[in-house]
Amino acid sequence: MASHGPELVGRRFSSHHTHSVSQSSLSAFAEAIGSSSHQIPPTFLITFSIAAAEEFLPSLGFDWSRVVHGEQRFQHFRQITAGDALRVTSEIESYKSLAGNEFVTVRSDFEDISTTEKISSTWSTLVFRGAE
Amino acid sequence: MALIPGELFAEKTLYINREKLRRYAEASGDHNPIHLDENFAKSVGLPNVIAHGMFTMALAGEAIRFWVGDEWQIVDFSTRFTKPVVVPADEEVGITFSGKISEVSEKDILIELGATSAGVKVLGQTKALLIF
Repeated sequence: MASHGPELVGRRFSSHHTHSVSQSSLSAFAEAIGSSSHQIPPTFLITFSIAAAEEFLPSLGFDWSRVVHGEQRFQHFRQITAGDALRVTSEIESYKSLAGNEFVTVRSDFEDISTTEKISSTWSTLVFRGAE
Repeated sequence: MALIPGELFAEKTLYINREKLRRYAEASGDHNPIHLDENFAKSVGLPNVIAHGMFTMALAGEAIRFWVGDEWQIVDFSTRFTKPVVVPADEEVGITFSGKISEVSEKDILIELGATSAGVKVLGQTKALLIF
């Protein structure tokens, strides 16, 4: 597998497509986790965060078939609502290689496309397992 | 209940099964076969199909909602995925959440959570900051 180094830290990636938050995708997510709350599930944005990382990291040589989710954090500045159109920008915030495994933390910042208001940040630490 | 530091919530067990994993995969767009296909999961060294870590985190969010109600909003939510939740065919697998209020300020409360499945700790260092 490709080996990487700390020079990856700071690499940025902007997705070209807009993430539209539809009522049907919010409802499907809430239903799948058994939520009957009126609030948007606090982990809903994971769909977009992981999609961004899945687009970004393989282009740097990471083998997506060996990925494991290590850690996750969400910070919300305002609740998303149906009809929001979001832009996501991702950046590698930390990288380390430990016992043959690579640990990559990707921060993704979400903003409202029309107002440029910052909506949320997410941090995903992904572990790429080395070959056995 | 009184929102005071040290207050413990009653443990909450939520149940998942293969069908729920399939629905979570559909709603979240995470179709990794380790969550859906027993033969595939075993072929990569797992004991059986495992739940999406993010599904467990989403259920932790539901446990919080159950404890504090809909008026509180999670604005910061983080966890480590320590061990997988194993989901054998035709079984209802329980995930038991424990929680306590660790800090209270005028505008927010911090909740620390634990999560176990089949006696194994599946989430670590789980924290949620909520505002009213």
